[in-house]
Amino acid sequence: MTGEVRYTIGIDIGGTFTDLTMVTEQGITQSTKAPTTPDDFSIGVMDALAEAAGINGITLDELVRRTDVLKNGSTVATNALLTREGTRVGLITTRGFEDTVFIMRAVGRVDGLPAEEVRRIAYVDKPQPLLPRDRVMGVHERIDCQGRVVVPVNIEDIAAAIERLVEIEGVDSIAVSFLHAWRNPDHEHVVRRMIDERYGDRNIFVSLSSDLSREAGEYARTNTAVANAFVGPAVHRYLGRLSERLSLLGFSGRLLVMQGNGGLASIDHAAPISTLQSGPAGGMFGAALMSEAMGHRVVVTADMGGTSFDVGILSDGVWKYADEPIFARLRMLQPIIDIRSIGAGGGTIARIDPITTRMSVGPQSAGAQPGPACYDAGGTEPTVTDCNLVLGYLDPDFFLGGRKSLSVERAEQAIRANLAEPLGLSVLESAAGVFDIINSKMSDLIRREVVRNGEVPAECVLYAFGGAGAIHATSWARELGMSQIVIANTSPVFSAHGIAMSDFLRTRLATLTYVAPFDPAQLNRDLDTLEDDLAMELAKDGFNGTPVFKRYVTMHFLRQTTGEEMPLPWDRFDGKAARGVEDLYVEHYRRLYGAGAAYEKSGLAMSRIRVDAVGAIDRRAAEQSSVPTILDEARHGSRRAYFDGDLLDTVVYRKDRVPAGSTIAGPAILESELTTIVVAPGTSAEIDALGNVVVTV
Amino acid sequence: MTVVVDSAIDPIRFEILAHRLWAIGEEGRIALQRVTASPIVAQGGECMCSFYDADGNMILACSGHLRFAAATSDAIKRLIEWFDDEPGINEGDEFILNDPYVAGSHTYDIMQIAPIFWEGKRVAWVASSSHTADTGGVLRGAATEIYHEGIRLLGLKIVEAGAFREDVFKTITEQCRDPEYVGMDIRSRTAANNVCRAGYLELLTRFGADFVEAAGRRLIEDSSRMAREKLTAIPNGTWRSRIYGTYRDPMTRRAMPYQVLCAATKAGDQLTLDFTGSSGQLENDQNSTLPSTMAHIMIALTNRLFWDLPWSDGKMDPVRVIMPERSVLNCTFPAACGRSPRVGQYVVEAVSQCVSSMLFAAGEREDINAGWGSFWYLGGPGYFYGGHNAQGLPNPQGLYDTHGGGLGATPLRDGVPSGGQQNIPSGGISDIERIELQYPFLYLSRSHNIDGGGPGAHTGGAGTQRLLIAYGSQDLTVDFTPYGGLPHGAWGLFGGHPTGTGGTRSLLAPAADVSGRLGRGDYPVTADEAVASGWAELTVPAGNPGRIPVAEGSLLADFTQGGGGYGDPLERAEASVVEDLRNGLVSVEQAGRIFGVVVDGSRTLDPTATAQRREEIRLLRVNGARTVAPAHGDSEWATRVRFHEYLEAGAYGSGRDVIRCVECGTVVCDATQNYKQHVVRRELSLGELAGRRLPGDGEYIGALVEYACPTCAVLLAADISCPEVSGEDDLWDIQLVS
Repeated sequence: MTGEVRYTIGIDIGGTFTDLTMVTEQGITQSTKAPTTPDDFSIGVMDALAEAAGINGITLDELVRRTDVLKNGSTVATNALLTREGTRVGLITTRGFEDTVFIMRAVGRVDGLPAEEVRRIAYVDKPQPLLPRDRVMGVHERIDCQGRVVVPVNIEDIAAAIERLVEIEGVDSIAVSFLHAWRNPDHEHVVRRMIDERYGDRNIFVSLSSDLSREAGEYARTNTAVANAFVGPAVHRYLGRLSERLSLLGFSGRLLVMQGNGGLASIDHAAPISTLQSGPAGGMFGAALMSEAMGHRVVVTADMGGTSFDVGILSDGVWKYADEPIFARLRMLQPIIDIRSIGAGGGTIARIDPITTRMSVGPQSAGAQPGPACYDAGGTEPTVTDCNLVLGYLDPDFFLGGRKSLSVERAEQAIRANLAEPLGLSVLESAAGVFDIINSKMSDLIRREVVRNGEVPAECVLYAFGGAGAIHATSWARELGMSQIVIANTSPVFSAHGIAMSDFLRTRLATLTYVAPFDPAQLNRDLDTLEDDLAMELAKDGFNGTPVFKRYVTMHFLRQTTGEEMPLPWDRFDGKAARGVEDLYVEHYRRLYGAGAAYEKSGLAMSRIRVDAVGAIDRRAAEQSSVPTILDEARHGSRRAYFDGDLLDTVVYRKDRVPAGSTIAGPAILESELTTIVVAPGTSAEIDALGNVVVTV
Repeated sequence: MTVVVDSAIDPIRFEILAHRLWAIGEEGRIALQRVTASPIVAQGGECMCSFYDADGNMILACSGHLRFAAATSDAIKRLIEWFDDEPGINEGDEFILNDPYVAGSHTYDIMQIAPIFWEGKRVAWVASSSHTADTGGVLRGAATEIYHEGIRLLGLKIVEAGAFREDVFKTITEQCRDPEYVGMDIRSRTAANNVCRAGYLELLTRFGADFVEAAGRRLIEDSSRMAREKLTAIPNGTWRSRIYGTYRDPMTRRAMPYQVLCAATKAGDQLTLDFTGSSGQLENDQNSTLPSTMAHIMIALTNRLFWDLPWSDGKMDPVRVIMPERSVLNCTFPAACGRSPRVGQYVVEAVSQCVSSMLFAAGEREDINAGWGSFWYLGGPGYFYGGHNAQGLPNPQGLYDTHGGGLGATPLRDGVPSGGQQNIPSGGISDIERIELQYPFLYLSRSHNIDGGGPGAHTGGAGTQRLLIAYGSQDLTVDFTPYGGLPHGAWGLFGGHPTGTGGTRSLLAPAADVSGRLGRGDYPVTADEAVASGWAELTVPAGNPGRIPVAEGSLLADFTQGGGGYGDPLERAEASVVEDLRNGLVSVEQAGRIFGVVVDGSRTLDPTATAQRREEIRLLRVNGARTVAPAHGDSEWATRVRFHEYLEAGAYGSGRDVIRCVECGTVVCDATQNYKQHVVRRELSLGELAGRRLPGDGEYIGALVEYACPTCAVLLAADISCPEVSGEDDLWDIQLVS
């Protein structure tokens, strides 16, 4: 059949740019970007689609008509939370616990703050809550930790609470969170039914804690329900607009949303809060695919941008979900991929303490305004980007593909006045010092994450992305004893690419309270329940194939209060597996904490079960669309760059013109519009058939 | 910018090493928290990993409970003194120690300390410490000698030459009621030390032992230099504070007051803390050993003044401490000290009060908080449980909602409600759902405590109150203290009120048919409501026992401390008081009585009645008559130092230095005099202030003393006073040097 080309499109809406990756049925991949439009994110998406149509010489209508699946990651939910500009929300909760979201388990005062700030104890305050106290309604009801009803839910209380919230407080959205609803959600269901009965015509958004999480922990679960209600209407509005714009152009494909769990759901059935961190989750999925294709067992993803440095870990292609991840300083209970951040990036400022003369690099950042000194927009303090420029790693005339020119003079001035002169070092030495210090801090974060996952840094492969990641990655790898760095061809749009490639994924985590010896029948019943639920969700999402289930358990020694998660090698338990899981755990635990830490005599308990249900969507492995052949044609002059105490003549290549299969020995720099790859002396870079760069350290 | 560079050490390598060292300690702490069996460690963060030089000086402590870091220096010095020759300190050894007369606060503070060897030489130490609430002995509260407080270890090798000593382990754990729990905690500290030691050895490999040693010295020196710099910026003078505590007479079990008295004298770059006048040591377990007191002094200074310094020993260099012998802050062996953290809390509060006031005089505003709350409940059931839960497992002893108390108000905003605990800046409290999975309780509420924060122009943050039912245990017990005492909670600053009368812990016996009433949907959420609705009645066990059984279905009412207020409550914006009313933080009664804010039935402000009520309160403060301030002719006022929200020192023209009211310009006294003795003093009964009686025959000891400007009646200070302990005095809290 010689039919027209059909597309799968991945969109990632970031703070500045909306990235787009399109993949044809043949696996040909193309990417583009358009500025993000925060007032109505769907405009930016349409702009990106128009750009993409332009690249292919077709009209926007034609592109839209030829698109089978449009997969969409967005920051709509994150933005609404960060700016606290969500909808007017009310909360119905167990009477006596109306203050839960204000007490914040006390730890809310420091949640989401860097250690340096936590120490300033007299200054640090709690974050602004998502709703005022008088929109929280207590209802008489109580369920105990075994799920037994102790106090039946009071129907009059619910009726009064709903009426007050809707009629007097004028809420658009109601969150419901009752104690131990993770174990028995019946009372929450009663509230939903009553809202439907009374105000079914008012289009009130209802968010039940038990729909969002089946884990114990009322503070984070209630936050999740409230946050979901808070951002829900905004997320739905955005998706509605996008859907409408696409329909007008004749779109007849499927519109799916990316979730923070690393997979897709349909727009009608995704919980709005599940879209938190969907961009980075797309990146993790892309990294998982790449690790499978390249045969990398343990992968560290490191994303260095302007203000933050994000690290994720994949062991055997599997990621972990964060325990109570924090967004906009609020704890949540949602399966969101565990990606850790510190405030370190191109904009990070270096300073000398006037009393101790210690040089600190971060956590202060010059941000986008005024930005680094070299932007020449009023910044006078030296930043990491200024140092990268002075060290010759960045081309002043080819930053963002030449869209912004950088002032070497301003950068030097800032470094000289603030660092070099006080320290009695040269400008170059100072810049190199800043480079080393920030790299060391970043390496410390990477090491902590690797070790926390029970892996050994030297056995990991480093996947670097973000605007500055490939400049710094060699230093991290050397510090941590890693020998291989991969910079994906799709690195500038890594999240959009990952989203374009991703599958349906529904995840369920549920608290258990089992003590060994475990009952295989009980465990199998739990698995059956979870898998049935998940299969149903996938069916609702429009997936009609056979789901693939991945199962994990969290266990702990009997008296411990926190546990560790490990994958289950069995589909179901029999007597042997129920005993075997204990041995597996002891082994897993020893690997994490060393011999002697495990105290088997204390006995084991199982505290959580996790099931991932994957609904695979057909895809072809990516292919390079055009392949240049002559390395020398990729050369783009040379410049002096700083390595190990010397300025060396360094060849510069335009990365997109480097032929596949080339090996380039350091020192060299590979540049493309949005990525600069520094190949240090003693290392070499190899470009594979897909345009990925593999640096051997 | 002109700075002097210490050229002895490469600044870039130093910075990398410093961050790496911190990161290693964090990795160790993460390991410890995940292996431990203590909820207070895993979730409350009561633990610490820290590094020491070869002689035991602290190089760096990481995040966690500060008390442990401060204590361990002393422990290492003693280990070297006692055991270096025999049996020797060798590579691969790890010592376990919990003697509060050496280091730590009570026997529950357990330290595991490992030497680090490099090329055969001992170059450093690493320590991992945490709180393990079981060391055997008599149950909490009953000890009168340290011998009652369980196993006391003075440095046993739990790991010897790399081999875990199962014999030592078994011997220790089997002295305790809950060997599995204690065993898990020992293993958690070993795990943390393994992580830290491996990390430190990598540092030595990478940077070389000489460099690492020099860097350690530098960290200590930096800390010392920064501490001196901070002190230099504060005007010279003496600041005084007094915190009262309550203990029980061991014979009569009657409530008796005692005091911690602190005089902080700042001169140049030196700070002297003199605790002379603090009460003598007690005949029960409410005593602090010298190491514990020193550790708490360090906590206060680290949190309030030195928060941005490296956490190393150097910051204590410019600090001199004078401590009376045989006092409650420096008890003599073998005095019991199980409740030493409580005394320590008073030390923290006393030092913090002086420091906050000093910072104000230095012109700093952002880092001032009024008091964060001491342990201050005056009797009733405590929070150390015995017995078994529904699964038949021993109840994990303590339940630490005290880690979610309210924070003090600041010059710029109200205190944070349910904000934390000063010793553990990053700690928190547990989810009730998680608690109920472990303990035999069913909670009926956890909410902000009404009238729980100290009133002020900015109010202190509220603590929380909880009401719970004993649920699913056959043998639950809890520690009990007879009612009565001196309610000195968190101190207020510059006219802000202290807290201390904001709640009562109590045991309530239910009326018949608990499950029936619950089943009909009827349950109370506060103790007052439980009593008023006839759900339960307050009970006071006969004979003042130290521990009481808690029958299934009984109610326990529990609350945590609030923060102190800042400034005169009458200066609080009316709208803020109304908002507090709506948020359930203040009662209508307190709004009217203390804030002078009157509302109608729908909680809307009545401005006329409010203005009238506020004027009435002002007149009461000045005994019904305002004085008129004398005029000062044409001489111009020049402020020398604004040392108080409402007072400043300075002079008119070339006149002598005086203190005057910032609000109305009234000259109060000479700058070298105690302003409190030249303004209007008024005493208020604490029972009246509390608005409730203590259960049983319990009585409040002491009074609230207010000092107001004689002209404008602005409230300058609201102090707790107890002549029985302190004699009749007006504590001279700010004594400037001219």
